[in-house]
This record gives sequence, C-alpha cells and structure tokens, in this order.
Amino acid sequence: MKNRAEASGFQDDRAPPAAEQGFVRLEGVSKRFGDVVALHEATLDVRRGEILTLLGPSGGGKTTLLNLVAGFLLPDSGAIHIASQPVTDVPPYRREIGVLFQNYALFPHMSVAANVAYGLRMRRQPRPEIARKVAETLALVRLVGLEDRRPRQLSGGQQQRVALARALAISPKVLLLDEPFSALDKNLRGSMQLELKEIQRKLGVTTVFVTHDQSEALSLSDRIAVLSDGCIRQVGTPGEIYRRPTDRFVASFVGDVNVLRARLEEVYGEAARIAIGAAKLTVSAGTLRGCAPGSPVELFIRPERLRPAEDGDATACEGVVSAHSYQGGHVDLHIASEAAISGRILIRRPSEAIARWPVGTRIACACAGTEAVAFPASQG
Amino acid sequence: MPRPPFLRAFVSPAALCALGFVAAMAAVLQFSLRAYIPGSLEPGGLTLTNFAALLRPLYGRVFLDTVWICFITAVCTLVIGYPVAYALVRAKSAFLKSAMLIIVVTPLFLGEVVRTYSWIVVLGNNGFINTVLLKLGIIERPLQLMFTAFGVVLALVHVTLPVMVIMLAAALSHIDPDYERAAESLGAGPIRAFVTVTLPLSTPGIVAGVTTAFAWTFSAFATPQLIGGGQVNMVSNLVYQLGFASFNFPFAASLSVAGLVLAFGMIALLRTALKPLESVGPH
Amino acid sequence: MRNPRASTWAGAAGAVVVGTILAFVLLPGLVVMIAAFNARAILSFPPESWSWRWFAKALAYDDFRTGFRNGLIVTGWASTIALLVGAAFALALDRYAFPLKRTIEGVLLAPLVIPHFTIGLGFLILAAELGATRGFAVVVACHVVLVLPFVLRSVYISLRNLDQRLELAAASLGAPPARVLTTVTIPLLAPGLVSGWLFAAILSFNEFTASLFVTAQRTQTLPVAMYNYVREYADPSMAALSVMYIVATAIILILANLFLGLGKVLNVEESR
Repeated sequence: MKNRAEASGFQDDRAPPAAEQGFVRLEGVSKRFGDVVALHEATLDVRRGEILTLLGPSGGGKTTLLNLVAGFLLPDSGAIHIASQPVTDVPPYRREIGVLFQNYALFPHMSVAANVAYGLRMRRQPRPEIARKVAETLALVRLVGLEDRRPRQLSGGQQQRVALARALAISPKVLLLDEPFSALDKNLRGSMQLELKEIQRKLGVTTVFVTHDQSEALSLSDRIAVLSDGCIRQVGTPGEIYRRPTDRFVASFVGDVNVLRARLEEVYGEAARIAIGAAKLTVSAGTLRGCAPGSPVELFIRPERLRPAEDGDATACEGVVSAHSYQGGHVDLHIASEAAISGRILIRRPSEAIARWPVGTRIACACAGTEAVAFPASQG
Repeated sequence: MPRPPFLRAFVSPAALCALGFVAAMAAVLQFSLRAYIPGSLEPGGLTLTNFAALLRPLYGRVFLDTVWICFITAVCTLVIGYPVAYALVRAKSAFLKSAMLIIVVTPLFLGEVVRTYSWIVVLGNNGFINTVLLKLGIIERPLQLMFTAFGVVLALVHVTLPVMVIMLAAALSHIDPDYERAAESLGAGPIRAFVTVTLPLSTPGIVAGVTTAFAWTFSAFATPQLIGGGQVNMVSNLVYQLGFASFNFPFAASLSVAGLVLAFGMIALLRTALKPLESVGPH
Repeated sequence: MRNPRASTWAGAAGAVVVGTILAFVLLPGLVVMIAAFNARAILSFPPESWSWRWFAKALAYDDFRTGFRNGLIVTGWASTIALLVGAAFALALDRYAFPLKRTIEGVLLAPLVIPHFTIGLGFLILAAELGATRGFAVVVACHVVLVLPFVLRSVYISLRNLDQRLELAAASLGAPPARVLTTVTIPLLAPGLVSGWLFAAILSFNEFTASLFVTAQRTQTLPVAMYNYVREYADPSMAALSVMYIVATAIILILANLFLGLGKVLNVEESR
C-alpha cells in the first residue's frame, strides 16, 4: 500500500512521514445522540493511499464515523488522528480534508470554476496558481469547457465531477465520500465508479467512502469496514469480507447467502468439520468457539457454492424448486427446503436450468468447492 | 377532472372581494380628480388642481421625509434583524427557537396603538430612558426624545423588526446546511464560510425583507402621529389631517395617490438597485 | 455542529448581540407593565407607589368596553368571512385553471403593499359614494380585504404541503368530490386553516389605521378608542390596558405554538 502512494505521479508537497499505524486513525471513538448510541468504541486504521469503504445499513454508524473524521461532529470519547497528528480538537477547516457530499452541495451562486477554486482561495494562494490548479483538476475529472456554467445548468454526473474536483483541488490529506453515487442512475453509476477509482489511483489520496450498496463496496474498495448498530463488525479486503466473514451480520449483509442447518462433527486445530445432509465440509474453527462436537450449527454458504447433485455427489440438502428469477445471463433458482433456516435455498445456474429444473421438481444440491463459514446455532 | 366542481363557488366570493377592493381604490383615484368644496363633503367637478397643489415645497418635504424615514428604518431593521434571524434558524434547542420566535413576533400582534404607547412611556421626559440616564448621572436634564425623528425611527424599527426577522428566517431556513459544511471542509473558518456562502445565498431574503420593511413603514400612522406629535409628519399623518381636520377629502385622496406612486417607485428603485446582489459570487 | 474551541468566541459574541436585540424588543413591553402599576396619575417611570387602580379604571371605562365589544363583532365577522373566502380561493388557485386567475390573486394580495390609510380612505369614500351609512358593514368589508392576503398565504402553504395522492386515494375508494373535500382535504388542512384564522383575527382586532378612517363614533374598535384616549389623557389607564393586551397576546401565541407550531405557520422551519 505504501509503495503505491509513492509510485503515483502526483506528489504531495507536504508529504507526511510514512506512518506505522494508519494514516487516518480512530481510537475508541464513541458518539451518541440523546439515547441513541450512533458509534460505540470504534477503532479503525485507514492506510495511506487506500480506498477504505464503510459499509452497512442505514443508521449503522457509517455516516457518523465519516462526519467524525471530517470534524463536523465531535466524539464523546476517543481520539482521531490524521497523518499522525491528533485532530480531535481541530475544526474541519483546518483538517485538510476533501469532502464529497451526497447531494454535492455545490455553491449555487458560484460558477464551476469558482466552486473548484474556493478551497484554494481560502488558503490564500496566488491567483495564477489558483487558475492553474483549477484547470488541472477540471482536466483530471474530464470537465473542461464548462468553467463558467452554474451548477444548476449541469447534469447530475457533471455536478458530481465538479464536486469531486472541488474536493481534490486542495490536495487534501484525506478524501471523504458520503454515498456519492446514490443520486445517479444505474448506468451512470458504473462508469463514475470506475472513473473515481482511476483518479484515486493516479493521485494516491487516502480515501474513505461510505455506502450501503455492497456491490459498490466490493468492486471499489481496497478494504471494507462493515458497520451495524454502531459497531465495526469486520475490517478486511473485499475477498476476505466475502469469503471469510468473521461475523454473522457480515456474512448475511454482504452478498446473498444460504443459511443451512448443520452439525459440528469435530474440531481439529484451526479447522472444523461440518456435516450437512450426507456431505461433509471443512470450515475455519475461529467462528465456532465454545461449540461442542455434535452441537447444531448454522452453515452460511454462498449460492455459487451449491450446485445440483450429480451421480457420486454427497447430497448436502434437497427441496422443491419454488420459483425462477431470470436474470438474463443466469437464472436464480429458489428452492423450498427444510434444511434452510428461512425455508428457502438460492442457487445460480446458467439460464438453461429453467427447462432442466421446472417449478415443482425435486432437486438435490451438493457443495461445489469448500468455501463456507459456520456459526453456532442461534437461540430460539 | 374535466369540469372542476365547485369552481364557481370557490372563486366568486374571492372575485367579489377583489372587486370591492378595486372599487375602493377607484374611489380614491376618482376623488383625487375632483375639486374640493369647502364646508361640504360633496366634491365638485373634475380637475387637476389637487395634484397641482402637491407641487408645493411643503408637500415635497413631507414626501422626502417619509422616504428618508422608511429607508433608514428598513436599513436599521435589516442590520439588527439579521443576527436574530440567523440565531433563530441555527439554534439547536427547540425551546430556545420557540422562545425567540415568540419574543420577536409578539410586538407584531400587539397592534400599533399599544406598541406606540409603550414607546411613549420609554421615550418621554419622565420615561424609562431619561429616568435611567438621570439616575446614573450620565445626563443632567432629560433628553428630548419624544417629538423627534430619532424617537419615531426607533419605534418604527421596533415595529418592523418582527416582519424582517420572519422573512429573513424563512430565507435562511431554506439554505441547505451542507453548503456551510462544504465551505468549512474546504478551509473556510465559520466567519469566512458565512460571508462567502450563507450571506450571498440569503440575498433574496434580504431583498424581500427590505422591500417589505419599506412598504410596511410607509403605511405607519399611529407611531409618527403620537411620537412625532406634529413635528414629524409622514404622508399618512398628512392624509389624516387633511381628511379629518380640514375635511378636504379630495386633496387627501390626491395625496394618497401621490404617496402610492412614490412608494411603488421607491420599491421598484430598491429592487433594481439590489438586483446585482441576487447573483453575488466571487470574482 | 462545530468544534467548541474554535467557535466559542464567535458564539459568545453572537449570543450577546442577539441577547441585546431581544432585550430591545422586550423593553417597551416590560416598561409599560411596570408603569401600569403606578399609583399616581402621572405617566412616569419608575412608579413611586404601586396600585391596581388603573386596571380597574381601564376595565370600567365605557369607551374601552364598547370598543372591545365592537372589535369582537368586527373581528368575528371579518376573520370568518376571510377564512371561508380565502380558503376556497386558495383551493381554486392550487387546483384549477381559470381566466383572470393571476389577476384576482394579485388584486387580493395587493393590500399587503398598499398603506392602510389609503385603503381606509378608499372604503370611506366608497361608502359615502354608495350612500351607505358608516356602520359595521363598511368596517367588516374593509377588514376582510386587509386580512385576506394572510389567510390566502397561510392556506396556500398548507395546500402545498398536502399530498394530493391522499385525495386521489379517497376518490378511488368511491368518495365523490364533495365528500373527499369534507372527509380528507379539510381535516388535513385544519392546522393551516386554524392558524390562518387566528392570524387574521389577531391582525383584525388590532388593526388601527384603516379602522380610524372607516369607523364612526358608535362603531369604533378598541384600538381607535385607545388612540382617542391617549390624545386626551396621560394617565396610566392605557398602560394597564396595554399590559392586558400583551399578556393576552403572549398567551395566545404560546398556545398557538404548542398546538400549531408557529415555526411552520410562519414558514421558518428548517429544511432537513
């Protein structure tokens, strides 16, 4: 991660010393609003030059965390550091951050150029320098030629680029993005996400990104921090989050997952063997602490890790096909099965499966691959 | 709906009221063009003498004084009303907001006479201000505050403040707080954020407030009448005197018409003068 | 929310400024309240001895009593008529297109910018021309015209905040237009209607300048009666009356705020 920042072409004149700990660091930060605990003892490191996404449902604490890093909120307890400097008492206008708001908050009474120049004006940079940086940044977000327009004359996508340019023009230490793509329509969203990632790679600016859209998080991030109910559940790369969730919430929130009734057979060292149907699966024992062999567990397995059983396969679960959801390139098969806690299993197949497995057919599923995670069976 | 139900029922009464109002205004206009017959309430034939008579310097002075008082009042009210409106909108506790709103708005609902009378008690020779200043030894003889333009303006500002605060607060409350946050995130301290972002964005409210304050003050009667006591005359007072002291209604009508033209003219002037403010931005 | 250290100075200075201004707003009211209890007949401050006698005198004074009664009559009629006319027109304005729509609206809102003495003069002359006596009818007509703009605005704002789909839902469930109006529209508009009526009533009751022109001796409203009194006498009866006025108005406003939310009525709520 550190190499990437150094290798990027854009050199920050005020390059801070490479930090052992996170470039942005939160230690035991808590925040409550009245009786509601928005964030509880959050500790998080954001590494220099990475994109870290805060992912979670509404009210989970991610926006609160972002606002705390920005300085729009004061923590009730804990400390926040940016580039090894404590900033807990530093107001937003001295934190050297760049913020992209959900609704962009472009100053309606200023032109595009004036908006982008605003932060530089506040830093009292000389006029020619400001003009140069404005042109450079607008070229970076590919918005040349619209300098004199007013925000209201621009499309949603263009407004977002201006907002991004405005935040980047001041060469911030940290870039903070609050659900920046939620206002765009689906097609635009995909291309804007890619562009943002390209720009971030080019500049190497440390970025914290808030979203509730997990596919966005998976595709954009270097690392993801999943939050719910004010707590950070897990921090890891997209792959780790998806394939090795350490927390029940993370397993069910990110991506689709089947939760099946299974049994813990044996624990040996770091691994555990799970029996499901006639099949046996090896999973990490880390999530099964305190479970005695023979006790019931819940197996979280992704749709792509199940397939219709063929001859010689050990059946993991079976049921009756209850519905098809045609998705163009593939079809989601919904299977009514008692093995699933929710009563339904989801597997994905190429669209030919519609004819092969019509609604009402009995189907047996086997495990494809060994990736799954198990948690102790929940009470009740 | 192809044919709106109740349309006639809903619109006719309102149309009737509108007609009544227009008739009343037409009556004033009509009277201003009729001659005055001393000793009688009936006007004479059509004539322009009333308007000609307005050209005398005496009336010119009254017009000028009125415009001047309205202008000063509007500006002073803006200056002291803005901080209150801002505090009202940004206050965090609901109780504080309600308390401020009620304090500011109550004078509006008290009526001209009660408000003006209260100021008489404050401004009089034995009134509050003089008593306090005398007791503190700051002055030796009572200050003459009644029957002065200063006293009148002071009371008028007090009267106009609620209106200004309400209009400014309405405009300020519709400014997205994210703008100030964006400005702060870009390095603007609270004062610079206010001056470069919030203030320009509130200019429509300022323009609306100032023009309303001007129009409101032009309408004032009791305050200049009782506190001015004949020494400070606005158009309203003169119209009353002509009508009820001299019973010269035609002339009073012409004065009203001229006053109306003046007021509208001033407001139009204010609007055009403030127009460049509407799109304020950094160079 | 801001960092306390950075904004403390600005915040404290601001609080002082705003506090001073609010004190300025409260000053006359407080002074009058103290002066009303003066036992002596001179309008002075502060009182040397205290007494309730001016309150008694004010309450017993004939002209004030008549003025109060007349005021209630005029206000009752004017604000109710204004409410009915204004609410109906606001509905038409919001929903329908019809000829002269903007013209009528403009004319009805005009009294906001036309001085009250001109309007009062106008109705006085109009009544004389039509041969009508200077009775309550003229006064009520004048007040309706003065107060209508406020009712219109208040109801119009409520209408804008009303989700029309609720009415469509009622219609889809079988309610004819008249019933939609009575069972859905009006109940949902109720806060706006009540506050509009309240606003109108308070302004009408306190209206002075136009009333001075259109009322006669026997129809004079309370503000006119008070004005006549002040011109002749200088004792604190008026102060006592003012105090009663202030207290009554404050109570009404506090209640209105509790039940209706003054902020919403005056359109100064924050957009969140």
